[in-house]
Amino acid sequence: MSSSTEHIEEPLIKGNPSFGKITSVISRISEKKAPRMWYVAISITSSLAALMFVSIGYLVWEGVGIWGLNNPVGWGWAIINFVFWVGIGHAGTLISAILFLLRQKWRTSINRFAEAMTLFAVMCALVFPGIHVGRIWIAYYMFPLPNQMDMWPNFRSPLLWDVFAVGTYFTVSLMFWYVGLIPDLATLRDRATTKLRKFVLGILAVGWHGGNRQWKHYELAYLILAGISTPLVLSVHSVVSTDFAVSIVPGWHTTIFPPYFVAGAIFSGFAMVMTLSIIVRKLFALEDYITLRHLERINKIMLLTGMMVGYAYSIEFFIAWYSGNIYEAFTFINRATGPYAWGYWIMITCNVVVPQMFWFKKLRNSIPVMFVISILINVGMWFERFVIVVSSLANDFLPAAWDYYSPTFWDISTFVGSFGLFLTLFLLFIRFAPIIAMSEVKGVLPEADPHHHAQDHDHKEPNDGH
Amino acid sequence: MNKEIKQLSGEKFWRSLDQLADKPEFRRFLEAEFPASVDEEKHGVSRRNFLSIMGASLAMAGLVGCRRPVEKIIPYVSQPESIIPGVPNYYATTFPFGRTPLGVIVESHEGRPTKIEGNKAHPSTRGKSNGFMQAEILNLYDPDRTTEVLHQGEKSDKAKFTTFWNEQLAELREVSGKGLAVVIEPHCSPTLANLGQDLKRLMPEGLYIGYNPISDDAARAGSDEQPTHQFDKAKIILSLDSDFLGTEDDNLISTRQFADGRRVLNPGDEMSRLYVVEPDFSITGVSSDHRLRLPRSAVEKFTVALISELENQGLGSFEIAMGSHNFDRKWLSTLASDLIKNKGASLVVAGRTQPAEVHVLVKKLNSALDNVGKTVAYLPISPSETDIDFTNSLHELDEAVKANDITTLVMLGGNPVYNAPTNLNFQKLLKKVTHTVHLSDRLNETSQLVDWHLPRAHWLESWGDAATSDGVKSVIQPLIEPLFGGIGDVEFLNLIVTGENRPGHEIVRESWQKFITGDFETGWRKVLHDGLLASDQSTLRDTQQTANFNRAERTISYPDAVEISAHKLELIFQVSPTLYDGRYANNGWMQELPHPVSKLTWDNAAAVSTTTANDLGVTNGDVVALTHNGKSLELPIWIVPGLADNMISLELGYGQKSSGRVANNVGVNAYAMRTDENCYALSGVTLTKTGNTYPLASTQDHGSMEGRPIVRQATRDHYVAHPAFAQEMAEHPPLRGIYPEHDYSKGYQWGMAIDLSSCTGCNSCTVACQSENNISVVGKEQVANGREMHWIRMDRYFTGETENPTAVFQPVTCQHCENAPCEQVCPVQATSHDKEGLNVMTYNRCVGTRYCSNNCPYKVRRFNYFNFVKDTPEIVKLAMNPDVTMRSRGVMEKCTFCTQRINQARISAKKSDVPIADGQVTTACEQACPADAITFGNINDPDSRVVKVKKQNRNYELLAELNTKPRNSYLAIIKNRHPELEDYIPSLTS
Repeated sequence: MSSSTEHIEEPLIKGNPSFGKITSVISRISEKKAPRMWYVAISITSSLAALMFVSIGYLVWEGVGIWGLNNPVGWGWAIINFVFWVGIGHAGTLISAILFLLRQKWRTSINRFAEAMTLFAVMCALVFPGIHVGRIWIAYYMFPLPNQMDMWPNFRSPLLWDVFAVGTYFTVSLMFWYVGLIPDLATLRDRATTKLRKFVLGILAVGWHGGNRQWKHYELAYLILAGISTPLVLSVHSVVSTDFAVSIVPGWHTTIFPPYFVAGAIFSGFAMVMTLSIIVRKLFALEDYITLRHLERINKIMLLTGMMVGYAYSIEFFIAWYSGNIYEAFTFINRATGPYAWGYWIMITCNVVVPQMFWFKKLRNSIPVMFVISILINVGMWFERFVIVVSSLANDFLPAAWDYYSPTFWDISTFVGSFGLFLTLFLLFIRFAPIIAMSEVKGVLPEADPHHHAQDHDHKEPNDGH
Repeated sequence: MNKEIKQLSGEKFWRSLDQLADKPEFRRFLEAEFPASVDEEKHGVSRRNFLSIMGASLAMAGLVGCRRPVEKIIPYVSQPESIIPGVPNYYATTFPFGRTPLGVIVESHEGRPTKIEGNKAHPSTRGKSNGFMQAEILNLYDPDRTTEVLHQGEKSDKAKFTTFWNEQLAELREVSGKGLAVVIEPHCSPTLANLGQDLKRLMPEGLYIGYNPISDDAARAGSDEQPTHQFDKAKIILSLDSDFLGTEDDNLISTRQFADGRRVLNPGDEMSRLYVVEPDFSITGVSSDHRLRLPRSAVEKFTVALISELENQGLGSFEIAMGSHNFDRKWLSTLASDLIKNKGASLVVAGRTQPAEVHVLVKKLNSALDNVGKTVAYLPISPSETDIDFTNSLHELDEAVKANDITTLVMLGGNPVYNAPTNLNFQKLLKKVTHTVHLSDRLNETSQLVDWHLPRAHWLESWGDAATSDGVKSVIQPLIEPLFGGIGDVEFLNLIVTGENRPGHEIVRESWQKFITGDFETGWRKVLHDGLLASDQSTLRDTQQTANFNRAERTISYPDAVEISAHKLELIFQVSPTLYDGRYANNGWMQELPHPVSKLTWDNAAAVSTTTANDLGVTNGDVVALTHNGKSLELPIWIVPGLADNMISLELGYGQKSSGRVANNVGVNAYAMRTDENCYALSGVTLTKTGNTYPLASTQDHGSMEGRPIVRQATRDHYVAHPAFAQEMAEHPPLRGIYPEHDYSKGYQWGMAIDLSSCTGCNSCTVACQSENNISVVGKEQVANGREMHWIRMDRYFTGETENPTAVFQPVTCQHCENAPCEQVCPVQATSHDKEGLNVMTYNRCVGTRYCSNNCPYKVRRFNYFNFVKDTPEIVKLAMNPDVTMRSRGVMEKCTFCTQRINQARISAKKSDVPIADGQVTTACEQACPADAITFGNINDPDSRVVKVKKQNRNYELLAELNTKPRNSYLAIIKNRHPELEDYIPSLTS
C-alpha cells in the first residue's frame, strides 16, 4: 500500500554498478582461479562428506544397530536430521516463489544461492529416510512400482506421503532453480574462453540469446513455476509433520503440527540463508549486492517466525493441560523436566529467547550478532526435532517400556558428514555457477526502471524508509 | 567329513546323487553346514544322529529364507517308520530336576527334539512348565558340552576307562571299598537309588555321599520326612522366606495350586490369603497379600515370636523359650488370629535357605494348627538317601581325605571346585586323591583337575527313571542318540558299581521289573507312552496324617539377636531364578531372562534396599567390595525396593570360568564367599566403595505406573462393593475411528485373556515363547541398549512407598488390536490384519522403518537391529522350531499368537472336516503358564473358555481409551487383604 508521503528507500544494490560491472563481478567468481581459501574449505568439507559415506557404508554392512536406537525409540538422529534438513530447504523456495509473487524485489540478491541451498539441503535430507530403514536394499518397496509380487504401498501411511511430498518438492525446486539460471548461464557461455566451457555452458544454456520472445516465455514460465512452488512450501513440511501428527504417540499426536512445522522450517531456512549470505558476501566481496538491508529483512522474518514457533510451544503445553489427557500432559511436563530437559531448554533458549534480540535495530544490523544468532537458531531448531522425536518416544504410554536414548559415534558422524556434503555442494555451486541472479539484479537497478527519477546518484545517505 | 560319511554305520541315507558320488561340491556344502566345531568329526555318526542332523538341515534350507540357493532334495526312498518330514512326533519322558521329576512331552521334528511341554497326565506338571524346563532344550544343543573321555587331559576313550576302572574295582572289592568315595547329585531315580544301595552293600567301607550347592536338607531335618504342600487347600498361607512360587524346587506344582486357591470368578468368591516374611523380594512376596520384610536372621526369631503369640491366643503349648521382641504386634497378632481361625486350612512353609531350626518349628506349627494331612503331608524319603546330607557331606569327604582314607574319588556331575564351600578348598582336596573320576557335561573347573573326565549325556539323550516324592514313577526315555557321545547317569553309576558297560535301557528295564505288574512288555510300553506308571496316581499324600520327629530333636532355644546395620551387613545367597545354582549359566535364554523383580540380565549384583543404598551412599552400578573374614568380593550394586534393610541379596550361579561361551565370566562367583558353616547367609559383612562403576543391563528402567490405570488392582472387599471397578478406572470420550472397520463377526476370531490375579511373574511364558518362536538372544550389550527381543515381556511395577513397596506383574504381548496403530503407519503393508483378527507380520515385505514400533502404544514390537542369528552355532540351530521363520536383520517382529499352531490346528481340522475345537490351539505362553493365567481361543464362540474369562467383570483392555480395540485383555488383580491390615504399613524393627 502506498502512503501519501514520498517513500524513499535505500537502494537494493549499493555502489550503483553498471550492468556490465554486475556481469563481470559475478561472472568472474566462477571464471577466475578459485581463491586458496576455497580449496582449503572444500578439502575440509569433502572429507566430512566422505565421513558420511563411510558411515553409511558401515551402516549398510552392519545394520541400523550401529546407531543408538532402541525399542521404544525407533527413530533417532536420522529422522531428526531429515526433518532438520528439509526445514532448511524451505527458505529457498519461499524466497524464490512466495517473495517473487509478492513482488519483494529485495529477494533478487539472495534467491539464487538460497535456492541452491534448498536443493542441497533437500539432497541431504533425502539421504536419511533412505538409509534409516532396516533393509536398505529393498527400500524401493515404498514406491508404487508395479510388480509381479502383488505388492503395493500403504497409502494410509504418512511415510508414503513423505516420499511424494519431498520428491515433488525436490523436483520442482530443481526446475525452478534451473529455469532461473538459464539467462545467467547464457551470460557465462558468452564470456567463456575455453572450448570445453563454451560447450558445456552452451548445452546448459539451452540456446538462450536474450530475445524478447524468450524473455516473455521465460518470465511466464518462471511465474508459473513460482505458482506451483508456493503451495509446496506449505505442503512439504506439513506432510513431514504428519509423520508425527498422524501417529498416536503423546507429543506427536497434535493438530498444530503442520503450521508449527512450516513456521519452524521457514525460521531455520532463513537462519541458514543468513549464515551462508554472511560468509559469501564476505568471501567474494559482495557487500554491495547483498546489503545490510537484505540481511535486516531476513532478521525480521526470523523474529516473526521465531515468535510463531514460540507460540506453538506454549499452545502445545496449554492443550496438553486443557485436553485432560494424562499421557499428553506427562509428555510435556517430562520434556521440560525429564531426562531430556537439557534439550528442551536449549531449544527454548535458541528459538524463543535469542531471536528477541532482533527487536533492537542495532542488533538487527550487526553482522556478528546476526551471524551468531543465525547459527544458534539452527542449533535450536535441530534440538526442537530432537525433543519432538526422542522425548515423545522414550516415555510414552507404558512406563515399563521406557528407555533412554543416546547417540553413538555413527549417529554423530553421519550428521556431521551431512554438513560436509551440504557445504561441499555449496562450494561447488559458488565456484561454478553465478551465485547471484545477474539478470534479476539488473532488473532491480534504477536504470532498469523507466520511471526512475535519478535522485540517488550522488550517494547521499537517504532517510530510512522504515 | 568325507571320512565320516564313509564311516556311517547301518543303512545309508543319501540326499542327492552328488552325495553318493561324494563330489567336492557336496563336501563343501557339508563342511559349510556342519563345521568341525560341531565336533561330529570326532565320532562316528550313528544312524539316528545322522537322520536328525540331516532332517534339521532340510528344514533349515526352508527357514534361512529366500537369499540362500535352493538345493535339490529328494524324499526318503524307504521312509523311516513314524517320521514324516514336517510333522512332529511327541514323546513322553521325564525331566529330572534334582529331587523333583517333571513329567514332560517333547516335540521332535525328524528326530530332533525342539520343544518341551508338560505332560498333562503327569501330576507334577499337568501339562504346564517352568522356565528351567523350557530352557532344557537349549542345554541339549549346548555347543560347549564335552565330547570325549579325557585321561589326565589327554584324549582317551570309554574302553580304556572301563579297563582302568575294573583294575581299580578289583582292588577296592578286596578291601570292601575302603578308599573309595562316590559323590552324587540329588536325584529322584529309583534305578540310581538301587545302584546306590548296591554300592553300599558291595563297598561297605566306601563313602557314598551327595553334594549340591543348593538342597532341601534343612526341610528334612528332624526326621526322615520331607514336606509336600497343598496350597490350593489352604485358606491362610504363611511363607517364612520360602519362594515357593519361584526358586523352590516344587515351584511348578505350587504355582498351580496357589493359583487354584485364589481363582476368583465372581465378587465374594473364596480365596486364600498369603502372608510372606522374607528378606529378599521374591515373586512369592509380590504375590502376597501381606508382606513383612525382615533380614534372614530375624526369620527364626519371628517364628518363635509367632509361636508365642499363638500360645497367647490359646493354641496349645509349644514349650519354647521366648524372649522379648519388637516385631510389629498388630501384624503378628492379626496373622496369629488368622491362622487359628483357619485351623486345618492354614499352611506354614519355610524356605530351604532357612536353618533346620525354622523347619522344625514350622513342622510343629503345622502339627499344632492341625494342617498335617490336610494342607501339608510329610512324606518318607527313599531309604537309600536318608543318610545323605547334600549340603554338608563334603565336609565328611574332606575329613576322610585329610586322614588319607580316600584313594579313589568318583563324582557324578557337579562342579565342586567352583561351588564347594571355600573353607574346604576342594581344589587342594582333589590333588590329594590318587584317582579322580568325574562325569560332567562340560569341561568345567572340576573336570579340568581330575584324572578321568567322562562326558555326561543330557536327559533327553539317555535312559533313566524318576519318582516324585509322593511316589509317582516314570521313565526317562531318550529322544536322540547322545549328540556328543555322552554317558547316561545310570550307565555311569552301573559301570562304577559293577564294572560293566551295560546300555542304560537294559538297566532301567531291569529295575522296573518290580514296578510293573502283569505282562512286562505291555506295561513297559504303556509307561513309555503315558510318561508315568498309571497305577501310581498316588494317594500317599492323603494317607500321611501325622508328622514325625523321629530324629534327634533339635533343641530350639530363643535365637540370639544378630546385630545388623549398614556397617555390619547381612549377606544372603539366593538361588537364581534364572540360572538356578549355575547349571543354566551357559544357556543364553536364561542369561537373558530378566530376574523377575530386579529385571537384571546377564549379571548378578549386590541387591540392596533403597534405604540401605542411601545409608551406604551407593547407587546402581557402583562397584563395591564385600568383605567377610578376610574374604572379599567385588561386585556392582543394584537397588531393589522392598528388600529388607541392612542386607545384601546375592544370586548364586554366576562368575563361572570354564562352562562355555555364554557362561564364562558373566557376573561374580558368590560361592567364593560361602563356607560350610552357614552356606546361605553371612552376617557382619562390611561394604566398601571402590569408586569404580560397572554397567548392568536391565530390561526395565522405570518401575512406577505414574498413576496410570495400567495394572488394575483392588482388595477383595472393594471388589465386592464395586464389581466393575476395573472398567471404571479409565475414562474416555466415545471411541470412533476414521477408517471403516473389518467385519469380525464370522469364522474364528482369536483372542486372549490374561488373569493378572493368577499371574505370579514366574517368566515361564517368556522362555516358552522364546523356544517356540526362535527368538534371538542378543547379549548383554544389546539388552543394555534396550534391544531385547522377548515377544512376551513381564512388566513389573512397584506401588506404594519406595521404602516398603508392593509390586505387580503384567505379561505384555502383542495385543492384536483390531484398530492396530502399527498397521496404519507401515508404508509397505508389512503388518496387516488377517480375517481372523490376528495382527500379522510379513517379514519378507518389511523394510524396517520402525514406524510401527513407534506407533505401538504397548511397545511390544521387536526390531532386529543386527543380524542376531548370524553367529548361532550350527548345533544350536537344531533347537529351532522349523515351523517358525527365522528373522533377518532389519526386520520387525512380534508376538503372532503362535500363528503356526493355529495353522496346524486348521490343517488337522480340515483333514477331519470338523471345526477347530476350543482348547485345540494353545499358544506357547498359555501352554506353559503353571498358574493358568493365560487363556486363548475363539472369541466368536460363546462357549469358549476365553469368552467365559472375558465375560468376568474384572476384564479390562489395556489403553482401550486409544480406541485400539485390543484382542488381548487383562483381568484385574484381587488382593485378599485382611481388613485389619488394609493399607497398614508394618514397622520393621525386630
